[in-house]
This record gives sequence, structure tokens and C-alpha cells, in this order.
Amino acid sequence: MWRDIWFLATRTLLMTFRKRSTLILYFGLPIAGIVATFLLYGSVGTTELRVGVVNEDSGQRIAEDTVGFVKNLDHVSIVHVSRNELKEQLAANKLDSGLIIDSGFSESVLSGSPDHIAIESVKGAQVTGYMKSMLRGYIDNVAAMGKIAGGDGTTFQQIYDQYRSSAFKLTSESVNDTSLAKQMSYQSIGFLLLFMLNSAASLAELMLKHRENRTYYRILSSPINAKTYVLANIAVNAVVMLAQIVIALFFMKVVFHMDPGISVFEMFALLAIFAVVSISLSLVIIAFSKSSGMAGALQNLIIVPTCLLSGCFFPLSIMPETLRRVSDFLPQSWVLQSIEKLQEGATFGSIGFHLSILLAFAVVFFLIATYKFGRNNDTRNFV
Amino acid sequence: MNILDIRGLTKKFGDFVAVDNMSLTIREGEIFGFLGANGAGKSTTINMISSLLRPTSGEIRILEKDIAKQSRFAKTNLGIVPQDLAIYEDMTAYENVSFFAGLYGLRGDKLKERAEEALEFVGLSDKAKSFPKNFSGGMKRRLNIACAIAHKPKLIIMDEPTVGIDPQSRNYILTSVRKLNESGCTIIYTSHYMEEVEEICSRIAIVDHGKIIAEGTKEQLKSTITDVKDIRIELKSVQGTEGELLKPVPGVRTVLQEENVIRVHSDAAVDNLNRILKQLMDAGKEIRSVEEQEPNLETVFLTLTGRNLRD
Repeated sequence: MWRDIWFLATRTLLMTFRKRSTLILYFGLPIAGIVATFLLYGSVGTTELRVGVVNEDSGQRIAEDTVGFVKNLDHVSIVHVSRNELKEQLAANKLDSGLIIDSGFSESVLSGSPDHIAIESVKGAQVTGYMKSMLRGYIDNVAAMGKIAGGDGTTFQQIYDQYRSSAFKLTSESVNDTSLAKQMSYQSIGFLLLFMLNSAASLAELMLKHRENRTYYRILSSPINAKTYVLANIAVNAVVMLAQIVIALFFMKVVFHMDPGISVFEMFALLAIFAVVSISLSLVIIAFSKSSGMAGALQNLIIVPTCLLSGCFFPLSIMPETLRRVSDFLPQSWVLQSIEKLQEGATFGSIGFHLSILLAFAVVFFLIATYKFGRNNDTRNFV
Repeated sequence: MNILDIRGLTKKFGDFVAVDNMSLTIREGEIFGFLGANGAGKSTTINMISSLLRPTSGEIRILEKDIAKQSRFAKTNLGIVPQDLAIYEDMTAYENVSFFAGLYGLRGDKLKERAEEALEFVGLSDKAKSFPKNFSGGMKRRLNIACAIAHKPKLIIMDEPTVGIDPQSRNYILTSVRKLNESGCTIIYTSHYMEEVEEICSRIAIVDHGKIIAEGTKEQLKSTITDVKDIRIELKSVQGTEGELLKPVPGVRTVLQEENVIRVHSDAAVDNLNRILKQLMDAGKEIRSVEEQEPNLETVFLTLTGRNLRD
């Protein structure tokens, strides 16, 4: 029997994947899902602020130090430009904002009333806010020193030097925000679940197509029996699912450098269990379909709405409570919940309950399919 | 040696009895004609021989082995040419034959050799790399045959292999059937074309309502209906009312219409030719020729079943 399964499965794989369109359908679409997520979330996150500096108060220490302060801010890069260059580069989107220090700026700070400084941007407060608030804190400090010095340059210099070489040092560490990467991975897996379910249903649909073109009956009149035939189809389905998972994880990790916050092996194991659920669900769809057209319609009726309700396309948290409860009855939701738990630091062993629920889904679907195959006159030859 | 032995075969679908206690023996080397109108039980019988359907009761033996117990052996020695084409349109002719032959356990060089041999046999060697979607109906039928013979079965069931094809392809297929038979294959042949069956079959069984109602050689079957005469009358035009017109004539059993010809099957013992012709002439029919023919298979079939084979 295994030899027959091997022969049927390899021939079916060769036959199915000789068409480029099939390769795109089964492997291109999951990658497209990852690319879509990457583009969707890729624009969100930390980017460097490009600041053009026009310093017309050059030679003055306070002005120079202010420019130095901006330069040392995290995620900020500066470039010295003239007023005209600043306008042109802001308009051409080569710079995000401009810092203009007019002549007399250092004088005004020293007198305790900072003036002659402006921040320009065509992108608004979203871009200037960060630099403005940081800069205000710095200039206010220096201005306070000017006030205390009462306009006396020597006193100011002493206080300012003390401030610069302060006895205490504050070191700061940047904490990486991994929430975005995790959300990207979560959403990519959501798309992958959709494509896995669709692929499983399409591959199982081959059995109906073979019945429609009568080759199924020719196969059954050979020494191959119905069980062997169905097992070969399941084997083909399993190989394609596993390949989909491997390719999707490869693109996520290696090509797009997404960090799902879970080990690749755990992710693979979880998705492999979902592959079993997908195959069993595809058999249910086939068992209840009289033709490949009907199977296609059932596939659309079942897969997309359940993926939607499970949070494959957008996080469950934005859905109303009632819909969230519905998702408990959908296997995709249990995979996504498992991923969330693992991302929160749970061990693979601790999501045993979730894995059991997924396996239970698979068992129930297999039983329904077997029962229906046995009862249905049109498909009784399958089992 | 008997290649096929069917004993007490019955198949019921609910209350409907499709095959009713059928018994049949086919010997090695025969071309066996299996005749029956639509719904007579032919396909159900063939499906049971091919193990696609389980009999309700009875036994089928291929080469003296019970197919229920030794299904693999039986299937390995059986080749099916189904009535409906059963080929993959998106696989080349060679790949089709190679795939189906592979199901019988053939691998490697042997598989290649057998697939090429089968394609050559049906005259499709030059089309081995072509896809069936570009084939004519006749070529597809030939490929359908190649897929059934590559594993060299001892018994081949051909279920209407010439349906819907051009005369040239039909002749090619009939010649192929004879060649297969000469090479040692036993063939069960079903067709709606009585002349084909008459031309190639060495023995014939007529099936009606799930039962074999007659079995034997052509001559034996024809000799069973000595009480019937077959009168062929060619008219200038046929209107379809001739059957009703001739029914009251004593001895007339059935009237068939084929284009401008009506065929009257009548009791041989009743001398009624003049009455028949008078009846037609009184109705204004213009008679062109009259011929009394020897009974042929069609006469036999009609007499025994009361139906035309194409009904």
C-alpha cells in the first residue's frame, strides 16, 4: 500500500506543480501575505529624523552647544544648510525639519529670555514635536542659568561649565519595542492560515475533479483501492502544507527579518498541527460536495468568514465581545491565541490545552468526513 | 480455461434489481459481445467485474480466483476501457499511459517500454508528447484504450469504445480489438452498433432487465428466432405513422423505421406480405422496393427484448 501511496502522491505532485500558476497559488500567495503585512506595518515604527540646521549665531558657544545637543539626540541626524537650501530640501522631502538659530540667540538665552530660534517643517507637529520638547528642556535650563547669573557673563560661564561637567552621570539604554515585530508576525501567520486552508481544500478538490473526469473510476479499477487513493491525497496535502510553512517561515525570518518572538521550531510545530486541521476540514468540504464547483463554493463560504472571525486579518481585540466568543469555536483562533501566549513568554508545554483543542478539531473533522463518505451514495467509493 | 465466471450475480439498489441472478462464463481467447439496451444491467455488471461496485450476492471469478477475496490479482489481469473517456487532459499521451500503467506496479524501464508499446499499438506514438486536449475524438478514444492495455491484461472490458467517432477511427479500433485478441487477450465488448458486434464477436449474450436472456454464437442466436421473418420495405417517404397502420395486419409483431425504410418483423408462419403492402398503398404510400431478409442480430435482439438496442 505504501508503494502505491508513494506512486500516486509523487505523480499528483508532479502533475499539480508543473503549472506555474499552481506554484503561485500554493507558495506565492503566502509570501504575498507576508509582503502585504510587511508593507502594512513596515511604515510604522522608528525612523531617523533628518534635521537641517541654519546657524546664523555661529561662533557663540550657546548656539554651538544647542546644535550639538540636537545632534546628540537619539534618532536624529543633522546637516548644516543655508536658509535657501533648507527651504528647498524641506520642499523636496530631503529633510524632515529645520532648526533656524538667528543671530542674537545666544544673547537672548544668556539674558534669560530665549528668542531668535525656530523649528520649521512641512510635516507638522508629528515630526517637530519630539525635537521641540527636547530642545525646550535644554534651552530652559540654560536660560535659567542666564537668569541666575543676572546677565553677568563670567558668573554664567562658571555655572554653565559646572552644568556641563556635572558630578553625576546619567546613562540611558534604549529598550527595543518588539510589539510591532510580534504584531507583524502574528498577522503574517493569520494570512498563512487562510492560504493553508485554501490550499488544503483545493488539493482535496482534486478528488472530485478526478471523479468528474472519470479517471477516479479508472484508478479504482486498478489494484489501487479507495483508501489508498484518499491517503495519497492526504499525503500530497501534507507535503504542500509543510512546504508552505517552511517557505513562509523562511521569508519571515530570513528575507524580511521579522522576529515573531517565538522559536521557529515552536512556530513550525504549531502550524504543522494546524495543517492536520486544514486537511481534515478539506475532507469535510469534499464529503459534503457533489461537484468541484460546490466544493469551491463551500470553501469560500467557510474559510474566509471563519478567518475573519478568528482574527486572521486584524487583531481580535478590535472586535465586539460577542464575535470574540464565536472565535472560540474556530481552529484558526486557537492557533493565533497560542502564538500570542508564546509571544508573551509561555512555554510550548504550557499551551498544551490549546494544542489539544486543535487536535480535537482535527479528529472531529476526520470523523465527520469518514461518516459522510460512508453514507453518501456519490462518494461511498472513497472509503 | 474460463477467464471469467459469474455465478448467481445480483445487484440491488434499494428495491430496484439492476442485475438479477446472472450467470455467465467466458473462455480465454473469446471476443464476447455483451448486448443490452440502456438500463438493461450491462454497466452495473461491468462495474461489479471491475470491483467498482460490490455485488449484493453472487460470485465473480477471474482466472478462477474470486475477485472478492483476491481483488489485486483480479484487477491486475483486467483492463477497462470505459465508455466515458477517462484520461487527464493536462498530461501528455505518454504521461497518461505511463500513469495508469504505473498503478499496476510497473516501474522504470519496463513501465517506459510498456507505455511506448501501448501508444504504438493504438497509433499514437508520434503524439506521445502531445496533450489530449488537442486530440480529435477518435484519438482520445485510442488513448483511452492505450491506458487500459499497457499493463498487458488478460481480460479487457471495452464499454462502447467506438461511440461518437469517425468511421476511420472506428475501423482502427475494431482492427485493434482483433489484434489484441490475436495476441491472446480475451475481450468483453459492448456496443450500440449491432454491426460491430456481429463483425467481431465470437459469442454474444443479450441482457434484459438484469438477466441474460440469450447467449451463444451469432448463428446460434439467429437460429433461435426461426418463427420470425424480417421484411424490409423502402418507401418514397416515411411519416412515422406506418407502425400504427400495420399493427392490425395479422402476424405483424413490430415495425421499425430507419430513414426511408420500414422493417416489419412478423410471424414466419403467417403469409401476410400482400396485406402489408396493400395496407401501405391504400394509405397512399409510394413503395420503392420490398425485400425479405434473413434474421440478423438486430432482429434477434428486437424479438427477444421487444426493444431496439438504441432505446
